[in-house]
Amino acid sequence: MNKKVQFTLNGTRVSREVPTHRLLLDLLRDEIGMTGTKEGCGTGDCGACTVFLDGKPVNSCLVLSGELDGTNIVTIEGLKIGPELHPIQKTFLQDGGAQCGYCTPGMLMMSKALLDENPNPTEDDIRFALSGNLCRCTGYAKIVQAVQDAAAMIRSKNVE
Amino acid sequence: MSELTVVGKPVQRVDAEEKLTGEAIYGYDLVLPNMLHGKTLFSPKAHARIKSINTERAKKVPGVVAVVTGKDALWTHGESVKDKPFLAQDKVRYIGEPVAAVAAEDEDTAQAAVKLIEVEYEDLPVYTDPEEACKPGCAEIHEDFDKYRKAEFVVKGAMPNVAEHFKLRTGNVEQGFKESDLVLAERYFVPIIQHAAMEPHSAHAQFDKDSGRLTIWVANDAPFRALHEITEALGMAKEKIRFINPLQGGGFGSKGGLKVEPIAVALAFHTNGRPVRVKFNREETFISTLTRHEAVVYSKTGVKKDGTLMAREMTIYWGAGAYAEKSPTVCIRGSLPAPGPYRIPHVKVDGYAVYTNKPVAGSYRGYGIPQGAWAGEQQMDEIARRLGMDPVEIRMKNIFVEGDVSYWGEQLHAVGLKETLIKATDAIEWGKKPTLSKPGVKIGKGFACIQKPTRSPTTSAAGVLVNARGEVTVLAGTVEIGQGCNTILSQIAAEELKVPMEKVHMHQLDTDVIPFDASTTSSRSTYHMGNAVRRASIHARQQIMEAASPMLEADVKDLGYSDGKVILKDQPQQALSIAEVVRRKLGINGEVRGDGSYTYEIGKDLDLETGHSDHASAFYMYATQAAEVAVDEDSGRVRVLRMSAAHDVGKAINPLNCAAQIEGGVVMGIGSALHEEMVVDNTGKVRNPSFLDYHLATSLDIPEIIPIIVECPEPQGPYGAKGLGEPGLAPTPAAIGNAVADALGVRIYDLPLKPENVYWAIQKSKKKSAA
Repeated sequence: MNKKVQFTLNGTRVSREVPTHRLLLDLLRDEIGMTGTKEGCGTGDCGACTVFLDGKPVNSCLVLSGELDGTNIVTIEGLKIGPELHPIQKTFLQDGGAQCGYCTPGMLMMSKALLDENPNPTEDDIRFALSGNLCRCTGYAKIVQAVQDAAAMIRSKNVE
Repeated sequence: MSELTVVGKPVQRVDAEEKLTGEAIYGYDLVLPNMLHGKTLFSPKAHARIKSINTERAKKVPGVVAVVTGKDALWTHGESVKDKPFLAQDKVRYIGEPVAAVAAEDEDTAQAAVKLIEVEYEDLPVYTDPEEACKPGCAEIHEDFDKYRKAEFVVKGAMPNVAEHFKLRTGNVEQGFKESDLVLAERYFVPIIQHAAMEPHSAHAQFDKDSGRLTIWVANDAPFRALHEITEALGMAKEKIRFINPLQGGGFGSKGGLKVEPIAVALAFHTNGRPVRVKFNREETFISTLTRHEAVVYSKTGVKKDGTLMAREMTIYWGAGAYAEKSPTVCIRGSLPAPGPYRIPHVKVDGYAVYTNKPVAGSYRGYGIPQGAWAGEQQMDEIARRLGMDPVEIRMKNIFVEGDVSYWGEQLHAVGLKETLIKATDAIEWGKKPTLSKPGVKIGKGFACIQKPTRSPTTSAAGVLVNARGEVTVLAGTVEIGQGCNTILSQIAAEELKVPMEKVHMHQLDTDVIPFDASTTSSRSTYHMGNAVRRASIHARQQIMEAASPMLEADVKDLGYSDGKVILKDQPQQALSIAEVVRRKLGINGEVRGDGSYTYEIGKDLDLETGHSDHASAFYMYATQAAEVAVDEDSGRVRVLRMSAAHDVGKAINPLNCAAQIEGGVVMGIGSALHEEMVVDNTGKVRNPSFLDYHLATSLDIPEIIPIIVECPEPQGPYGAKGLGEPGLAPTPAAIGNAVADALGVRIYDLPLKPENVYWAIQKSKKKSAA
């Protein structure tokens, strides 16, 4: 069954007919052609497909396209601030938070969700926030470091 | 050597930014124009004869373009034994074996059609235990094994289902045991685990009838080997096949050889030239791609009272799964060093790679080292305990040092093992009694040492282009699988051509234009490809200097080279930039090309009767990892509190990347030590093919990790470098096992150290001491 939905994607209005059972993940990747959001499991277990839906991080493999009417979606393609990398992208780059990079978009989105809510997280807060995002390359240490550094960077900017 | 400017520095990854913005295109992301979608029918039977396949209903589904079965793809492949059909032929040998495939306009249609394919099976006996499957009287899972094409080093065992029997014979172990004061014999077990790279497997293929060319897009870690395998299987000319590598989202050994490629290729011959994409989802990746070998290891060791090792006998059953894949080489390269990095006069090893009706086992980061170390290194600690020696002391007494002749007959050099042992144990304050945190929780420390060879002999070749803008393009067949090779190889080119890193660019991997490389495996790339890129860069530099000679009116011998410029040695202010030299010599679109290749010259081949070789490996990687753990006696839960990992890398081309590799390896090792286990029941069915039930280490599971880089330079390596990626997880489970035994006074012989296993081991030992 198809349904017409209208939503905002990375600040742009989108209006299209979608099969209601189509996963948001597949809609983004296969129909809209934005492959920055990654598929790692398709069952909500790995976090690689994390996007923001109305300001909250969700696994896009667990969201049906039929539910999207009137929503606001932000994907990894919308994380940059204008032409500039977001602080969390900068610190992942500087600290070596990405290796193969496949879990990275999801990690970045989840890290941003944490920092939006808690600008001064402890190491435990970060580990807990990211515990649903699997990474097989880095061993997490450099990711946790990057989130700490991003938090500091954002805080210092806000002070300025 | 002049002072290094880029090599040895903690340079940021050159490939990170596109990964951080979502712009990077991985194999799983790739969309080709006019592409069809493929889905696969997998065998529901672990061992059965195929009586009939009916595809008529599937073919009639609107939107279906092609349906193929084994009859349409009468080809076989395999790294060292050509035993695996593209699609099952007359029988299936594991649950998850590809039987048929459909290409359709969209994935839903393809999947709907797959469900309409009817297959009739006749059940055959199912073997799921490698130790049992090779007992006399068992039926052969591969009746036609003798007829398969295979590599010369493959030695079929005398027992049923043994695809490879590796033998190592040094001295006389019986004599050694007789001369020993203490002899210990134990059985150890390591279960099946999976690579679980975050990107699942996929492949795209297209066959163009007019040109007769077959193009395959796949994140394969050894495109030239895959090309060779496809060429051999199909009987097509090499020039007719092309592999293009999109980015790879991790592999850890799972994405070499042929996995999804054969299905995509079989379909591509029936789609009228349209490309077809076959993606495996996570469950399909779990059951139908690759696993790490389960291993049953019998280890018997004899020592003198003073701790001197006298003899070690090991028998290892490697569970190969249904097809040989890389089992013969895992069996050889995992069994040979299994007795450990020690001087032992009498050694006997028998390694058997045994077919079972389980998912296929093959290469996995560590290539057989973790299994041997789990047994050997725990036994070393057990011996130390019985002799009342410190585990460090017994290692120190026997450990390989510079110039030792190993038990496989090779004189060793560049042995940084002792330094790794000292530094790793110091880092966790070895010898200092831990303070008890709370009642019911016991703290312990342990460590393990390993040696790891690399695939030898092999070749890497590279090209380096320098254009008239002073930009450098590196043509190298090493695959960026996340390990950081693009950064390392760029550093080497930047170093030799003295240009900034931003000027260096890695060419996309395409077998039509990139020079040959053996594989991105076995931690061989920094050494082999590093040498090749270094030579190609020097070759380009030489040409630039020769071109500059008439321009500067000086002999080449009077020219120097620094900071991307050719200079007159005695008048350094007289200089020409490399951009200018190329432009003046070849014009604005000109390009200087340097070429280089490196082949490790092997000595005598491995002797198949004794396992001896005077050069078994281009280099050896040595490491010691040490763990401090807390064990909850009531629940059996093990927590790693801190873990140090000291690795002899020869020379760290990029210390930041080395630390990253070590940390990642340790955490993968912690997962395999504490919770990873792919559960296959006795019908051959995988019971936990999802990330919900297969427990990878998460950010909550990891301790403080202390990476330690030891540099014992390898004279043949670029700047002294060896390799690093694979050993990262090899000693981890054994180190943790030793720490758990230290904490509890109870040794656990089977991995993983999950709470129920630990709990029952504690209960068993309590009962024993009560009785």
